[in-house]
Amino acid sequence: MSTLRISRFQIGDNWPVLVFLGLLAILIVLKGRFTPFDVRSLSVNALPLALIALGQFLVVLTRGVDLSLGPVASVAGAVMALTITSHPVLGIAGPVAVGLLAGLVNGLFVARLGMPPIIVTLATMSIWQGVALLVLPDPGGSVPADFQAFVTGGFSVPTAGVVGILACCVIGTWLLSSRFGLHLRAVGGDEQAARMSGVRVPNVKILAYVLAGLLAALGGIYVTTTMASGSPTTGDGYILTSIAAVVIGGVPLSGGRGTAIGVVMGALILTITGSLLYFADVSSFYQSIIDGTILLAIVGSGATRDWLRGIVAVRA
Amino acid sequence: MTASEESRPTTALRAASSGRGLRAVAPLLLVVLSLVLIFVGERLAPGFATVANMLQLLKLASFLGLAAIGQTVVMLTGGIDLSIAWVLTASAVVFTGICNGEDANIVPAAAAAIGVGLGTGLLNGFGVVKLRISPIVMTLATNNIMLGATLIYTGGTPSGSSSPLVRALATGNIGSIPAMVMLWCLLAILTVVAVRYTRGGRMLLGVGENPRVSYLTGIRNDRVIIAAYVVCGFMTSATGILFAAFSGASFLGMGDQFVLPTVAAVVLGGTSMFGGRGGYGGTMAAVFFTTILTTVLVIGNIPQGVRSIVFGVAVLAAILAQRFLTRRDDRDQ
Repeated sequence: MSTLRISRFQIGDNWPVLVFLGLLAILIVLKGRFTPFDVRSLSVNALPLALIALGQFLVVLTRGVDLSLGPVASVAGAVMALTITSHPVLGIAGPVAVGLLAGLVNGLFVARLGMPPIIVTLATMSIWQGVALLVLPDPGGSVPADFQAFVTGGFSVPTAGVVGILACCVIGTWLLSSRFGLHLRAVGGDEQAARMSGVRVPNVKILAYVLAGLLAALGGIYVTTTMASGSPTTGDGYILTSIAAVVIGGVPLSGGRGTAIGVVMGALILTITGSLLYFADVSSFYQSIIDGTILLAIVGSGATRDWLRGIVAVRA
Repeated sequence: MTASEESRPTTALRAASSGRGLRAVAPLLLVVLSLVLIFVGERLAPGFATVANMLQLLKLASFLGLAAIGQTVVMLTGGIDLSIAWVLTASAVVFTGICNGEDANIVPAAAAAIGVGLGTGLLNGFGVVKLRISPIVMTLATNNIMLGATLIYTGGTPSGSSSPLVRALATGNIGSIPAMVMLWCLLAILTVVAVRYTRGGRMLLGVGENPRVSYLTGIRNDRVIIAAYVVCGFMTSATGILFAAFSGASFLGMGDQFVLPTVAAVVLGGTSMFGGRGGYGGTMAAVFFTTILTTVLVIGNIPQGVRSIVFGVAVLAAILAQRFLTRRDDRDQ
């Protein structure tokens, strides 16, 4: 009995961490060793997804969803790849401005005009995909080697990626416990109650979309730096993956709940499955099946138990 | 069920005052815009506005139109189906693989391909209804699973080809009218009539409009919603089979171009994201509109980036227009 109680108590919101640690353990066993190089490649590969998924998380907290984050990352990366070599300041400020602007547009349409987030961001997704193609029609541009070394860290000392992942956890947790985070969760939990308690609902929503745009831009900057060149479709892969990472991180799309650490774990889980299959000598064709199954297992486990219990209750 | 009710507190108000005529505004607007675009197209390329060319455009639009039938039905329940992409590809791959270019194999090939759609539709519906997984997440997971399944089934390279008979249906004409256009019109009429005038259709609208009221009326909400996803799976498979025949072969990723355009078409056509309002007529107008828009932009030598931007702006403009043209009570939220 006591073990059951402890497991229920401890797992709570932390099971994405356990799932990740379990997968990591399997990876270490399969590989037989775990070097700083592995830490580096895992953290550097997961960081862009973690950043974009954190942005998605802020929007999901308000019961929204943002399909435009991937293409915003593409535009940010494209702008950076074109400008950073000649104008270092513009190379960072430009993409950041793109992210903030994109978030502001989404936020105004959703919060001020009361339109469904999925449609607004579907439209802006198409717009930013177009902008990315205009800014950088073909993959190209460049990133200075010293900036790349600074952002990705050395091969033997995997600081940069790990610091980035830890920073995501710490800053995300801090943001959620701040006054804004409280308002954010209140809006997602019960919008009307939040309004009556004096929360400025539209402003909170707009800020959530703006921060999401900023995080998407940072993700775009990071992935472009690691690849040392830009591409107009860099971010397209993140459109749905960022939602998957949020959900695997234990966040319900109905809003109001979830933790930043869970979301970062979601990003790490989706990244580690690739290396797992590689070292287990399984065809990478299986990766999306495994990702989909993890997604269903995590979302469906509680509901499946309830459903089975319901059937038993009816039969009995 | 309770969650969706909390988010729509004014349902009773809306139902009492919703004007039927106003809901036709969105499709009408799209038809008018389409006519304007046809005029622009004729200026850019004389001969654009001929009947023969319009029929070719309709043929191009028909594949998106067929896939959008399923999306409309699912979205009328307040759900969404993102698994269209790889269910469509998987069905097409299974069909061409088994059919292997022989008319004799059509029946087993079509049965297997349609089985893929029915199975995934059932899985989606089951997850959404019985396990209460949100439709976005459930269909996203199904999409991932079908992506993997397709890669494993084909080993990365789809094989086989469609048979002459199916190819004739997908590319040929009956008289001077493309067979696909006739098929699309037939299924469109069936869908509109089924949604508006049959018991099943009324149940579908009822569940989407207000799940609790429909439940209290004696409708089995669960079955209606599962049926909607199964219909969507069926239409997705059918589209996959026909689109593979139209393209000459099945290829990986052939379904990706259908997912978000079907969602956009359904919403542009005036169907509510929250379910219960709208129908296929509007979707059909939106499918036609987006196809003409894309074609005119291509004729005008507009680069792909600008086309993508124009498409996004058109979606935003259309929902803004709907918002200001419908009465306050009739709006979502």
